[in-house]
Amino acid sequence: MSSPRRKFNDRFASRLVQVGFLAAVLLLWYLATTRWGVNKLLLPNPLNVWDQLADVIAKGEYLNDLRITLTELAIAFLISTVSGTLLGYSISRSPYLIKVFEPLFAGIYSIPIILFLPLYVLFFGLGPASKIALGTTISFFPVVLNTIAGFGNVDPMLVKAAKSMGASDYQLFRYVLVPAAFPVILSGLRMGFTVALLSIIGSETIASLGGLGHRIVNLAENMDMARMFAYIVFAIAIAAFLNTVVSVLEARGKRQR
Amino acid sequence: MSAAAPAGAGIRLQRYMWRHPGVARLGVVLMLFVVWEIAARWFVDPMFLSPPSKVLFAFDDVLATRGVPAALRVTFFELAVAFAIAVVIGLVVGLAVGLSKFGNRSFMPIVLLLYGMPQITILPIFILYFGIGPASKIAFGVTHGMFPIIMAVAAGVQNIKPILMVGARSMGASKWHVLRYVIYPHMIPSFFAGMRLGMTGVLLGVLLAELYVSIAGIGYFTSVFTQNFDPTKLLGLVAMLAAMAIVLNEIVRRTEVRFARWRD
Amino acid sequence: MTQAAIPDAAIRVRNVSHHFGEEGDARHVRALLDTSLDVARGELQCLIGPSGCGKSTLLNVMGGLFEPTTGTVTVGDKPVRGPMPHDIAFIFQESALFPWNTIYENVMLGMMFQGVPKSEREDRARRALEAVGLDEFAAHYPSQLSGGMRQRAALARALSLETQILLMDEPFGALDEQTRMVLGEDLSVLLSRSKKTIVFVTHSLGEAVFLADRVAVFSARPGTIKEVIAVDEPHPRKPEFMTSAKFHRLRDQLYGLLHDEIRKSMLQSAKPKRAYEDQATKGEA
Repeated sequence: MSSPRRKFNDRFASRLVQVGFLAAVLLLWYLATTRWGVNKLLLPNPLNVWDQLADVIAKGEYLNDLRITLTELAIAFLISTVSGTLLGYSISRSPYLIKVFEPLFAGIYSIPIILFLPLYVLFFGLGPASKIALGTTISFFPVVLNTIAGFGNVDPMLVKAAKSMGASDYQLFRYVLVPAAFPVILSGLRMGFTVALLSIIGSETIASLGGLGHRIVNLAENMDMARMFAYIVFAIAIAAFLNTVVSVLEARGKRQR
Repeated sequence: MSAAAPAGAGIRLQRYMWRHPGVARLGVVLMLFVVWEIAARWFVDPMFLSPPSKVLFAFDDVLATRGVPAALRVTFFELAVAFAIAVVIGLVVGLAVGLSKFGNRSFMPIVLLLYGMPQITILPIFILYFGIGPASKIAFGVTHGMFPIIMAVAAGVQNIKPILMVGARSMGASKWHVLRYVIYPHMIPSFFAGMRLGMTGVLLGVLLAELYVSIAGIGYFTSVFTQNFDPTKLLGLVAMLAAMAIVLNEIVRRTEVRFARWRD
Repeated sequence: MTQAAIPDAAIRVRNVSHHFGEEGDARHVRALLDTSLDVARGELQCLIGPSGCGKSTLLNVMGGLFEPTTGTVTVGDKPVRGPMPHDIAFIFQESALFPWNTIYENVMLGMMFQGVPKSEREDRARRALEAVGLDEFAAHYPSQLSGGMRQRAALARALSLETQILLMDEPFGALDEQTRMVLGEDLSVLLSRSKKTIVFVTHSLGEAVFLADRVAVFSARPGTIKEVIAVDEPHPRKPEFMTSAKFHRLRDQLYGLLHDEIRKSMLQSAKPKRAYEDQATKGEA
C-alpha cells in the first residue's frame, strides 16, 4: 500500500511527463514549419494557429457551432439517461429478464453503432436530429447495462435485512437499492456521456450542416489549415473540459463509501 | 377438450422459455424484426424505411451495384491490416512500457494522454495527409485500435505476483526463462482481452474513416444511397457491414476463448 | 424427532420440511426434513449442526423470510406468513448494515422500516447504541469500525426495534475468538436484563454451551433435530463457567452427538447454497 505521499509524487511525475511531452511536441511542430520547411498546406505554423484561435474566440465565431454541438449532446444524453435507467431498473427486477436482455444489449453494443449514421441521416436529414439520434443510440447502452448491473448486484443480505425490519417496497427502493446501485450507475452515466460526445462530434464530421465537427471539415475542404487546426484545438479543449467535469462529478458522487 | 390442447401447448412453451432464456432472447429479436416489418410496410413512408423482407431480397441488387463488392473487399482488407498493425504496435509498446519501471514512468502518462484524446477531431487531417485510399483508413484504424492493446499488455505484464518471479529465479531461471515461461503466459489472457477491445477500436476507426470519405469506397455508396433515398440498398449495405463486424469480433472472441483458458 | 411440547412457547415449529429447487433439478437440495421445535419465552436457544444441515434455513423460516415447503411456524398465537418486524428482529453473520449510512442512520432507518413514529426514534436510537457501548461512534460508517463493533451496531439496530424475539444467524462467525468471547458475555448480560427470546445459530460448541439455555442438535443434511440438550445455569453467565466441569461435560456431550453428523456432512457432494443466497436468486431481491 503506497503512502499518500508516494501517490502524490507519482501523479506529479506523471503530469510533469505529460506537460513535457506536449511542450516537446509543440517545439517540434514549430521547428518543422519554420526551420525544416514542411509545406504550409500540410502543417501550419503553430503561431498562426494560435492567432487564428485567438481570432475565433475574440470574434465569438465558435459560438454557433458550439451551441449546436452542446445542444445535440445535452438532448441525446438526457434521452439515453432517462430511458436507460428506467429500462435498466425494470429489467433488473427479475433475474430471468436480466438473463434474456443483458446479453442482447451487450451484443448489440459490440457492433460499431456508427454504422447506423447513414440510416439516421436518410431518415432525419442532415440536421441535428440525426446526430441526436445517433448520440442517444450509442450512449443508451452503457447506461442501461450499468443500471442493470447496479441494481442487479445489490447485496441480497441488505435486502433481506431491510425486509425483515418491515421495509415497504418504496422504502426498499429508496433506502437500499438506489444507494447500493448508485456508484455503478454513475459510472455508466459517465461512460454514456463520453461516448455521446465522441459520436456526436464524429457524426458532425461525417454528415452535418453545423456543429464543431462540421466546422472542422468545412475548413479542411477550404484548405484553411491554420483555422482548422485552431478549431481542432478548441474542440479538444472543450471535450477535455467536459470530460473532466463529468469525472469530478462521478468521483464526488461516489465519495460516500 | 380441443380447447385445452392449445392452452396446454402454451403453458409448455412458457415453461420451455423459462428454462432457456436464450430462446426467449431469440424471440425478442424476432419480435423486433416483426415490428420493423409492420412499421416499414404500413406506417412509414417507403422513402425513409424499408421492411426487412425487402432488404433481404435486395442483397443481390446491392452486390450487383457496380463497385460495391470491391468496396466491401477493400474495407475488409483495411480492417485486417489495421488490426494486425495495431496488435504488433500494441504488443511492442505494451511490453516496453510494462516491463521497465522507467518505461512505465515515462511513457505511460503519454499513452494515457493520447488515449484520452478525441481522435475523431483529427480525422480530416488523416485524410489530407494519407489521401482517400486505404492508407488513411488503415492509419485511423490503427490509432484507435492500438491503445487498448497497449494498456492491456502493460497491465498484464505489470501485475504479476512478485512471488512467481522470485520462485522462478530461486529455481535458477535466467531472465529469458522468466520472460518466456512466467511473464509471457501470464500476459496472454490480458493480451487477448486487449485484442478484443482493439478490434472494436479498429472497427470504429476504419468505419469512421470510410464513412467520412464520400467520394470513394463504402462512404461513396452510403452517400449515394442516402441522397437517392434508397433505404433498401442502404439497409442492405449497412447489414453487410454489420455482419462483417460481427464475424471479425467473433473470430477474435473465439481465439481468446481457445488460447486464454487458464485464468478463470 | 419431537421433543415435549412447551406450553405458551414463544415460537412453535411443527413438521417443517424444506427443499430448494425442483425434483430432478441439478440444484435440488433437501434442506430440512420434518423438523419440530419449541422455543420457550425468555430462553436463549442455540441451533448447532454440521455445515449445510439446514439450521440457517430453519432460522429464516422461523423469521418468516420465506415459507417452508411443508410445515408451520407460529409465533405466540400467530402463524408466520412473512416477516414480522414487530415481533422478530434478525442479526446476520455479515452485519447487513448499510455501508452508505452511519451506524446512527442505520439504526434510525430500521425503525423507520418498522413504522416507529418519528418522535420516538431518536431517543430509542440513543438508548440502543448506549446499550451496546457504541454511543461515541454513532457518526461513524460501518467501514470505519472493526468487525466486533459492526456486530454490536447490528445488535443495536435490532434492539431499537424492541421486539420480543431475536434471531441471530452465526452473528459472531466472522470474528476472532477473543472478540467472540467478550461479545458472548455481553449477550448473556443483555439477556438477563431484558427477558428477550433469542434463537442463535452457531458452529461453535463452546459458544453454544456458554450461551444457551437449551441446545438443539441437528443431523447432517437433510436436517432434522437429533436431540435437545438443556444447560442449567443462570444468566448472566460468568467467565468462570467456561472452565467448570459442568461446561466440559456438556461440551463433550455435544461433541459426541455431532461428531458422526460432521463426518457425514463432509462426505456429501455439492455444498448447498446459503439459505438467503438461494432465495435471492429466486427473484426476491
